[in-house]
Amino acid sequence: MTKELKELKAELVAKTKKLKELSKTLDEQVKKRTKELEDSRRALMNILEDVQEAQKKTEEEKNKTLAVISNFTDGLLVFDKENKLSLINPQAEIFLEIKAKKVIGKSLSELGNFSNFPSLVRLLIKEDKEIFRKELTLKKNLILEISRVTIERPKKENETLVILHNITREKTVEKMKSDFVSLAAHQLRTPLSGIKWGLNMILEGDFGKITEEQKDILEKTYFTNERMITLIGELLDITRIEEGRFLYKSTKENIVEITEKVIDLLERIAQKQKIKIEFSIEEDIPEVKIDREKISFCIQNLIENAIIYNNPGGKVTILLKYDKTKNQILFSIKDTGIGILKDDQDRIFSKFFRGVLAMKKETVGSGLGLFVTKNVIEAHEGKIWFESEEGKGSTFYFTLPIT
Amino acid sequence: MPKKILIIEDDRYLKELIVKKLKKEKFEVLEAVDGQEGFKKAKEEKPNLILLDLILPGTDGYTVLSQIKADPETSSIPVIIISNLGQIQEIQKGLKLGAVDYLIKAHFTPEKIIEKVKRFV
Repeated sequence: MTKELKELKAELVAKTKKLKELSKTLDEQVKKRTKELEDSRRALMNILEDVQEAQKKTEEEKNKTLAVISNFTDGLLVFDKENKLSLINPQAEIFLEIKAKKVIGKSLSELGNFSNFPSLVRLLIKEDKEIFRKELTLKKNLILEISRVTIERPKKENETLVILHNITREKTVEKMKSDFVSLAAHQLRTPLSGIKWGLNMILEGDFGKITEEQKDILEKTYFTNERMITLIGELLDITRIEEGRFLYKSTKENIVEITEKVIDLLERIAQKQKIKIEFSIEEDIPEVKIDREKISFCIQNLIENAIIYNNPGGKVTILLKYDKTKNQILFSIKDTGIGILKDDQDRIFSKFFRGVLAMKKETVGSGLGLFVTKNVIEAHEGKIWFESEEGKGSTFYFTLPIT
Repeated sequence: MPKKILIIEDDRYLKELIVKKLKKEKFEVLEAVDGQEGFKKAKEEKPNLILLDLILPGTDGYTVLSQIKADPETSSIPVIIISNLGQIQEIQKGLKLGAVDYLIKAHFTPEKIIEKVKRFV
């Protein structure tokens, strides 16, 4: 019995020992696993944090973009690839007097049914490509300049952005200026008219006979007054034409007829300087939509320059062409005059700039003519440029697109 | 019978000169210094022609011209505008309202104005 007991005990001890060993390995394994789990948890947490960070940044970017769009002082409209309105900012809501939720998702033609949209929709439908600063009177006291650009994004369908820029203030100032010019013209001319009429009637003998000496002096006075009247006329022309950036109104005009009229007007000055003006037309010139007064000014300015800065006995050659492929009119005027120095050529269209040779030839000149001309031509979406060689003459060109 | 010319002009000196010139040419001359008086005289006297200034005290020249053209009693009287306003819009407005001619004072002498008058009476 004792022996049996002893054996049993020994076995028990051995088993216990084994058990302890087993438990120890188990412990170690659990510890190891736990650590592994901890590690992956930490890694996961890191990834999650990164994702959250990135999300926050994206959100911020989006908010920033939205804030820019919302607070933009121009009205903005975005159309998707099917030409449905996908975004309208608060300023555009104000211009068009509409709430975004009413119009989002609507197509161009559907938008035409909302009260303030029709004129804008007409413009957007009529012009199928990019639009650059087209003037649109949306309603009384609200004049907008409309532009449309395509938003190109990689791997995305193109959207279009329509920008509504408020130019009411500029137009009002322009109107004020025009009213002022009108008033100034009247106020300055009235006393000069009195002088002119009075002198003219004395010279005509309406108030009795005058001596030759009196007549001579009075005639000189009369012509001095005439010079003053001409000067005021020129000053007013320049002010009225402004800087040429705004078109007063566009009508369909015959540019050949306009050119002929200007040539008639300048023929006498040309004859005085013994300069021959030649005018020719290539192909039929179609009518073109322009601001007649402003384009007349440009043509007059270019012809005047070609006469004034020419040499006695010189020639002025004017040519009108129609470029079918580009659908535009090309006007060119070539003179045989003094030309423009290389150094002056870059600045010839700058405000108040006069070339060295021009100043030597004619001391009087405002330096505004070509500046205004360039603005007018560009306001018509045309181009103006020139070629010139000192002592040989210059050729000026401009184009007018037929729209 | 001398032809009757009505001149509506507020500048007394300019009026004096043109009146003198008209009388010398044997016209009968009527004068008015503002719009209302001008329209009244046009209705009462039925002149053969009216010389009309645009900037006038009270009713301006454009309004007077519209009144003259709207009234069957005076609508057939030719009106020549004489003014120092000279912008294209202003000239077009005058001609559109029915004036037969538009003369800028500073660019015309009384002599030339009389020539124009003679063409329309």
